[in-house]
Amino acid sequence: MGVQTIGANVKRLEDPRLLRGEAAYVDDIQVPGLRHMAVLRSPHAHARVLSVDVGAARALPGVDDAFSAADLGAQPPAIPALFAMDTFHPAPQYPLATDTVRFVGEPVAVVVAESRHVAEDALELIEVEYEPLEAVVDAYAAIQPGAPVLHANAPDNVAARQVYQTGDVDAAFAAADRVIRERLDMQRYTGIPMETRGVVASRDAVTGELTVWNSTQWPHTVRTILAGMLAMPARAIRVITPDIGGGFGVKADFNSEDFLVPFAAVRTGKPVKWIEDRNEHFLSIAHSREQIHEVEIALRDDGTILGLRARHITDCGAYQRPLGVINASLSATSLGGVYRVPNYRVEAVCASTNKAPASPYRGAGAPESTFARERLLDIVARELGIDRAELRRRNLLTPEELPFDTGLASAEAAVVLDSGDFPAGLDKALEMIDYAGFPARQRAARDEGRLVGLGICVYHQITGPGPFEGGSVRVDPTGEVTVVSGAAPMGQGTATMLAQIAADELQVPYDSIKLVFGDTGRLPFGMGTYASRNAVMAGTALVLAARKVRDKAEELAAHLLEADPADLVLEDGAFSVKGVPASSVSWAQVAAAASPGGSRPAGMEPDLESVQYFENLAAPYSYGIHIAEVEVDPHTGYTTVGRYVVVNDAGTIVNPRNAEGQIVGGVAQGLGGALMEELVYGEDGQPQSTSFMDYLIPGSLDVPDVEIGHLESKSPLNPLGVKGMGEGGAIGAHSAVANAVADAIEHLGVTVTRTPLKPAAVWQLLRSAGASA
Amino acid sequence: MTVPPTTAPTEPTSAPGTTGRGSEQTMHVEDRPAVATPAAEKSIRVTVNGTVHERTVSVRRSLVEFLREDLGLTGTHVGCEHGVCGACTVLMDGEPIRACLMFAVQADGAEFTTVEGLAEGDRLHPIQQAFWDHHGLQCGFCTPGILLTTYDFLRDNRGADEAEIREAVSGNLCRCTGYQGIVRSVQAADETWER
Repeated sequence: MGVQTIGANVKRLEDPRLLRGEAAYVDDIQVPGLRHMAVLRSPHAHARVLSVDVGAARALPGVDDAFSAADLGAQPPAIPALFAMDTFHPAPQYPLATDTVRFVGEPVAVVVAESRHVAEDALELIEVEYEPLEAVVDAYAAIQPGAPVLHANAPDNVAARQVYQTGDVDAAFAAADRVIRERLDMQRYTGIPMETRGVVASRDAVTGELTVWNSTQWPHTVRTILAGMLAMPARAIRVITPDIGGGFGVKADFNSEDFLVPFAAVRTGKPVKWIEDRNEHFLSIAHSREQIHEVEIALRDDGTILGLRARHITDCGAYQRPLGVINASLSATSLGGVYRVPNYRVEAVCASTNKAPASPYRGAGAPESTFARERLLDIVARELGIDRAELRRRNLLTPEELPFDTGLASAEAAVVLDSGDFPAGLDKALEMIDYAGFPARQRAARDEGRLVGLGICVYHQITGPGPFEGGSVRVDPTGEVTVVSGAAPMGQGTATMLAQIAADELQVPYDSIKLVFGDTGRLPFGMGTYASRNAVMAGTALVLAARKVRDKAEELAAHLLEADPADLVLEDGAFSVKGVPASSVSWAQVAAAASPGGSRPAGMEPDLESVQYFENLAAPYSYGIHIAEVEVDPHTGYTTVGRYVVVNDAGTIVNPRNAEGQIVGGVAQGLGGALMEELVYGEDGQPQSTSFMDYLIPGSLDVPDVEIGHLESKSPLNPLGVKGMGEGGAIGAHSAVANAVADAIEHLGVTVTRTPLKPAAVWQLLRSAGASA
Repeated sequence: MTVPPTTAPTEPTSAPGTTGRGSEQTMHVEDRPAVATPAAEKSIRVTVNGTVHERTVSVRRSLVEFLREDLGLTGTHVGCEHGVCGACTVLMDGEPIRACLMFAVQADGAEFTTVEGLAEGDRLHPIQQAFWDHHGLQCGFCTPGILLTTYDFLRDNRGADEAEIREAVSGNLCRCTGYQGIVRSVQAADETWER
């Protein structure tokens, strides 16, 4: 074995061009003759659309085109849902509202013009006649009889429903010493990347090929959906993901503009660009997280969990886009965590409301279920008088019980916990934060009138789900290595991570490898970047392709050296005969021989390239333990996060700095969810958080330094032993911080049952306990 | 692109025949002044990264549009268009400003440094190098603004502690890093930048 780069803390290949301002995000794409699109959006949460008149807009100088749903054909194409539940009443969104608008911000008409300024001028000239309807914005209210109905095919506003169960949960509850119930609510919040969405489309007048640059995390899926909606063959559409300025899951969706921009380019015959402004982003980016949990737990007096029984209502907003049921499905199948829960029943209900459609955001259902479970466990610990760490330890699955088949299957994969040491992770985190010393710290603070708390969260997450990912490796006759991956990363450092993997397989320097992502013209099949799948799926596809290339190269090198392949070693970018270093051929020499016309063994096909697909339905599960210490200001309810500890187990770590960057960045987002972020709607369905003044994301003064410990339980499900880990920080932090705030104030006689714990919310709790000054 | 409202959207009127965008107040067409044609233009002269540019621009063109689209300096990014996120931060006459919050015509006569002006040829600026060495970025979208904010801060300060650094970059939002790598990078640049 030669040099090993996997595990090395090497610097990122991505950085120099990003630091120089030389990156190409979608708004940086320029095409000659480019036109600009602007979107007219519904100002109503719920209204019938009586008429749309785009005539005056079309007549404005500088305007190329203006159109509404009526121009999309008698049967406009709908955005498809890719997953369903047992009970499923599809509520598809049309790219432009047809006869009804169902959320503020829903696209109604568009203008294409010589500039965005002129396009927005023209929007003002579009006449829309609305007949307002009563709106419903609360998911619980939406599914009650008599609520305003969004879609005729689901008069109860239940778009989807499924029960997930194992064991005999009712018998477990009947036999329990204790049953504890709670309603726990998580608010609506979402990814809010610094780069908004954007699309550029250009159709080649000669070939008819449509090229689409889209800040999407799954270009191949966008191509497939587009082909269906545009009724064009997929081979005539090339979707390219340029550099992405953050995605966090909300760019793995299909929104109206993903169709409207290519459609406008085809319709006008001109290249068209649309860049979402921040206001549009808040109105219509995939919203996420909002769930109501009615959860109950059956226990023995010693804290042993006998069963979990729950109903959760996911606020899915007005429509089901491609991943509309995923949050609900993953949440329903992950409520048990990595604990021993022999009897389990969760009813997942997807409610339609007059708000922006929901879709996964970093964690995709796991932050929601984790909050319900970890908050409930703290409430249980208090009621049973058992230390909360001890309660968790008693119920955590042990390494001897793994792999553990929960008997559940989400819309994505069976829930089988493949590997790990959960109790060891918990103990390591407790030691790092000095849990044993915390009661004294808390007592001392309380003696000074200060409110400090510690919160624990044990989370797990599905990572790297299938069904496949693709990758190719080719070695040019110059010896240069190019990797093409189906991944479409958005800042994780994936180029570096994959280059490290390829470097080890091919024994070339990692920084000599060229990575190509997110281009349907370069790889026929791909899935993209979401669900923490780059290392697991793209990494493994790359291993398969690199090994094919290496095996062929070795055979060819043996031919060139007139040696037995078994006698060759690959080191420092060259194949040589063992013990005879002078007898050696470089990758360049082998690749030159492999090129057509070169010297190859009889029957060997030319070229040195392999395209491989890793097909795998079994998803590895990573897990971690987060512990936060916070201080709550008794006068204002303002929470400051002090120390923060994470123990993370994602199997083999390819690049430690990438991994830690994912953890810390995720913690910041989870902290934001626990303390400040919320997409607020008024009772009339008007969004009230449509700028960075109303929707706060954590700044540099809000996020603490995060102390990180690693465990490495290698996954048996792939040759690298990797598990995904991009989402874990956001899953663990929300509940660790919320539990810490609860610990700081619950001795006053209150219970924390919802987030975000904004100062005003905490102050209200303190006030209800008579404790605020 | 228009500057979005920075307050909660106004409730729309419910009378038929109204029109409007999602969060803008609706009004009857006849109440509205005729749409101004974007004819008003003005010549400006600015210096960007040492190069003098003389251009005629529409009076409603924002400075960041001018830098990105007229001068092709796309390293300056547009993150919010309401002056909060800091992605469009550039140095104007040496001081950091939000390029989304002023019009190009207001910049007449000014001198700018953008991210493209930091490196010297192949050699990264010590601040850029520190961000590379210490994992100060992930997606890179907020990075140009943070580099220029850091430039301004370190130019005037030496030996700042972590709290001061966190305060200094608190006007720039980053959604990826959790700021830890940014703080380390600024600390490192403080030591390596000879100034």
